[in-house]
Amino acid sequence: MGSDHTHRRWSHLQKVLERSGPFCRPDFEPSSETLKFLMENCKLLVIGAGGLGCELLKDLALMGFRQIHVIDMDTVELSNLNRQFLFRHKDIGSSKAEIAAKFINARVSGCNVVSHFCKIQDKDEAFYRQFHIVVCGLDSIVARRWINGMLISLLVYEDGEIDPSSVIPMVDGGTEGFKGNARVILPGLSACIECTLDLYPPQVTFPLCTIANTPRLPEHCIEYVKVIQWPKENPFDCAIDGDDPQHINWIYEKATERAAQFGIQGLTYRLVQGVVKHIIPAVASTNAAIAASCATEVFKLATSCCASLNNYMVLNNIEGIYTYTYEAEKKDDCLACSQVPREIEIKDPNWKLKDLIELLCERSDLQMKNPGLTANINGKNKTLYMHTVQSIEEKTRENLQKTLQDLGLRDGIELNVADVTTPNTVTLKLKFSQTDVEML
Amino acid sequence: MASPAPKSPEQSEKNRKYDRQLRLWGDHGQASLEGAHVCLINATGLGTEILKSLVLPGIGAFTIVDGKKITDEDIGANFFLDSESISKSRAQVATQMLLELNPDVRGDYVDEGPEQILSNSPDFFNNFAVVVATALPEKAIILLSKKLWELDIPLIICRSLGFVAHIRVQVREHTVIETHPDNENPDLRLDKPFESLKKHMDSINLEEMDLKDHSHLPYSIILYKYLDKWVTEHGDLPKNYKEKQELRESIRSGIRIDEHGIPIDEENFEEAMRAVNTCVSRTTVPSGVMEVLNDDRCINLTAKSSSFWIIAKAIRDFMENEGLGLLPLKGAVPDMTADTEKYIALQQIYHKQAVADAEAVWRRTLQLLRQLGRSSDSISEKDVKLFCRYAGDIHVERGSCIADEYDSKTTNANEIAQSLENPESMMVYYVVLRGVEKFQAEYNSYPGEFDDHVEPDIVKLKSCISKLLGEWGCGPLAKDDYVHEFCRYGGSELHSVSAFLGGLAAQETIKFITNQYKPIHNTFIYDAVTSNSATFAF
Amino acid sequence: MIKLFSLKQAKKDGESPKAGTQKKASAAQLRITKDINELNLPKTCGTEFPDPDDLLSFKLIICPDEGFYRGGRFVFSFKVGPNYPHEPPKVKCETQVYHPNIDLEGNVCLNILREDWKPVLTINSIVYGLQYLFLEPNPEDPLNKDAAEVLQNNRRVFEQNVSKAMRGGYVGSFFFERCLK
Repeated sequence: MGSDHTHRRWSHLQKVLERSGPFCRPDFEPSSETLKFLMENCKLLVIGAGGLGCELLKDLALMGFRQIHVIDMDTVELSNLNRQFLFRHKDIGSSKAEIAAKFINARVSGCNVVSHFCKIQDKDEAFYRQFHIVVCGLDSIVARRWINGMLISLLVYEDGEIDPSSVIPMVDGGTEGFKGNARVILPGLSACIECTLDLYPPQVTFPLCTIANTPRLPEHCIEYVKVIQWPKENPFDCAIDGDDPQHINWIYEKATERAAQFGIQGLTYRLVQGVVKHIIPAVASTNAAIAASCATEVFKLATSCCASLNNYMVLNNIEGIYTYTYEAEKKDDCLACSQVPREIEIKDPNWKLKDLIELLCERSDLQMKNPGLTANINGKNKTLYMHTVQSIEEKTRENLQKTLQDLGLRDGIELNVADVTTPNTVTLKLKFSQTDVEML
Repeated sequence: MASPAPKSPEQSEKNRKYDRQLRLWGDHGQASLEGAHVCLINATGLGTEILKSLVLPGIGAFTIVDGKKITDEDIGANFFLDSESISKSRAQVATQMLLELNPDVRGDYVDEGPEQILSNSPDFFNNFAVVVATALPEKAIILLSKKLWELDIPLIICRSLGFVAHIRVQVREHTVIETHPDNENPDLRLDKPFESLKKHMDSINLEEMDLKDHSHLPYSIILYKYLDKWVTEHGDLPKNYKEKQELRESIRSGIRIDEHGIPIDEENFEEAMRAVNTCVSRTTVPSGVMEVLNDDRCINLTAKSSSFWIIAKAIRDFMENEGLGLLPLKGAVPDMTADTEKYIALQQIYHKQAVADAEAVWRRTLQLLRQLGRSSDSISEKDVKLFCRYAGDIHVERGSCIADEYDSKTTNANEIAQSLENPESMMVYYVVLRGVEKFQAEYNSYPGEFDDHVEPDIVKLKSCISKLLGEWGCGPLAKDDYVHEFCRYGGSELHSVSAFLGGLAAQETIKFITNQYKPIHNTFIYDAVTSNSATFAF
Repeated sequence: MIKLFSLKQAKKDGESPKAGTQKKASAAQLRITKDINELNLPKTCGTEFPDPDDLLSFKLIICPDEGFYRGGRFVFSFKVGPNYPHEPPKVKCETQVYHPNIDLEGNVCLNILREDWKPVLTINSIVYGLQYLFLEPNPEDPLNKDAAEVLQNNRRVFEQNVSKAMRGGYVGSFFFERCLK
């Protein structure tokens, strides 16, 4: 058993890992230990077991990785089967993560995929910290922003410098029809999801007055039913469920009536579904290519056998096949990754909140005017004080006289401070100089 | 009793299963796919990845040709084999495992190598829609390429080697009606309005409108009015940036002002100014389309001409007669800020004209079919309509026979030599890949395949490459880096590299089958080390 | 080139002596904190935070001191989602109002709330946009078509209808709740 990595089955990987070449990273050392590391130690997290996720699991398993976790809150649907190749008709309704894990473990002997049938938000820092690399196959911007924020919050700074051992690289793929992209993010070191948020096109929305009064397109009629008519008539006593055929039927019928009323052509059931569910066209081939490109990057990161993609690749195969790589730029004022927490030394643990605010206004490197302060205490957001908004000021005024300790502000806690003097909310880390800091 | 819900064709199980791709290539694209039979030669990791992305979307049938028995190495790179299948037929196991993916698809296999089939059953390949081959040796490439060129069946040759992979497509002629361009220009004919459009435009008087109507008029009408004025004054369309800017200013001056003399927010006028760039130009037949219409295949139809060329000829005839030098009208109008009534009225005018144009082309098509002695139902009116809708973006792909690259008299040596002078060019990969093929032919192994032979193989591969470059009249390679790198690969197949190329090769296959989207022309090379790719034409 | 020394070390589950112990505030959270702290309300507007710890959910109260709606008190609910500022907040008018750009279900037709939203805009931009709606109702692109037509055809009748609605009473067949300050 112990010599799996020397087995002939892996001779393809052995060649590139046990031989050196002119395009290897300078720190690459050819050795059989590398494959052993991939198999025994290197722990990966695949987020999403959908179109990209299924491909990623297969690709990573065949690139020698064995310690793979997969997380997905969704269950298998009929419309997944044209590309999510680990699922069969009988799996409809079951957890994607569980079915996918089972399939890979059965097909690729030795592989150990662990599934998590839940939301990414259900897992805590300790969970995410265990991984060497995180790979995302997501279709949601919110989820991408969340995991991006999570990986950034796991960074450890020492004297303003990132401790490289705390960096968990994130490889992210996305597709839409025949287009896709793959990217490598080194949290805190290279452009992150927030740095490049404007790459995601905003969702198409129509002016409310157009859909209400001057509809011209079938989409306007569908939006009307969705935004105005549904809440008004509430036909099923619940919010719209795009997966409930009764709901889609109702919207289809009402939108058809409206289109007929205005003489608008081209309203189809498929279009109704597409608009209501924000369906993004998807096909096996693009998913396969983008996931594969992500898997290659994970392999490079884990083995150093050649330099990583720096840092963004787009693919388009509408006209021939076109790829383009470029370096997305890290933003100096990124809300997520430019936040190197600055330390504020608290000399007296009995300080009151008003003393702290005074300090923020007086310190020559801050000179704030009317700072608004919030903190995350025990996983809950807490507004400590905000002078500028009357209703909040009234409710938080009493905090000014409380000591920091009474407010739950312990050593190491991070304050989010907004003030006119800074373009963004800044993060300040409290350091209590007289408390016994646990040194480990 | 509840009234029965209206039965919609969209709700069938199959439509729901394929929903996400039907939004790309439509029901007619899907029908083509389901009617196609594809052949895969060699069920390598790359080969099964290609088939996977064809089986999932519902290709009609596949046949795997592979005479090899499964080895340990195969298992490491191929997801559609498992450790229980060692020493069984690779074709058989891969066929079984791929069929599990989609019960709609039929599949079979032939447990023989392609060379055997080519010599024993020469008619074997006659009925495939596309043939895809992976990991073929030089000799088989040449034989197969000649055979399929003769049969006029598209061939896709793929290879995955270490971090590098490549696709070469071979097709004599491939016609595409729906190219799905990213940016399609609207066909508004503002400079050459057809009769009903001109009548509609002339019935509108901007000055006499009340504000509500004025600010809810589709922008194309505004553009027409100011363009008409411009042409009257200047005798021609605005030609350059400066003149277009002047036209924009003239449109701006038409925005109504309120009682304080401040311009009112008229969104439609803003849109009209923005549209000057895209909508103000002479309506002509695009040069690429003109080339197709002037092609010998279009002008001189034969009894064997395909529907594409017959409809193209009908369009050409239309253009030269009732079309007054233009293509049939597309009939689609982009969305414009306007009230429903005015927009729909305009839309109807374009739509009716497009229907009339398509009918004229349809009549001409029937006439051509009669002249060719073909039955009148060999082309449907629906096909003609589709062609008319996309006539402005049609594409004809003409390829070359791969075997020609292996003959120094016919190879594109100039292109190779010129590209090699550019240090950034990925042509070097092509050269080294060809060198590897030559090496295989001479030594019956991949360079670097055996750990104790890497160094001597570098020398041998270098000499194979030098020989090739010599035949092509090119100088030696600037650097040996790539020779070393390919010997490091030693013929290994990295699954993620194969999976990348497999997805793309499947997509090229789908392009050939559906006659939608433009295929590569004609050699695609991918380097996973840099994530770069390039396309070369041979 | 960045060398990730750590990569080859085995990670141990849930243990990291040096790591911070708290999840950082999300980018949306940081951004809304800034937006709220920098709210610069016109004197006719006020905010109400039912839970000061939850900056993502609050109410805006507008009491116009001029125009048709002078003397009225109009409450808007704001819900800021996790995709802020990539997506705009959801804003609804909770007070029934006779207004060409606000329908009887509380939908508000304001371009920056939908098609013209951009991440550089702030909560403050929306407040000003809403305030403007009360000063200059726009009959050109209406949501409440009846109100728009009346405004366009007869400003006096519109004015009367507005005050009737604000006092509490029927306009046409619809009963409006009283909303005077």
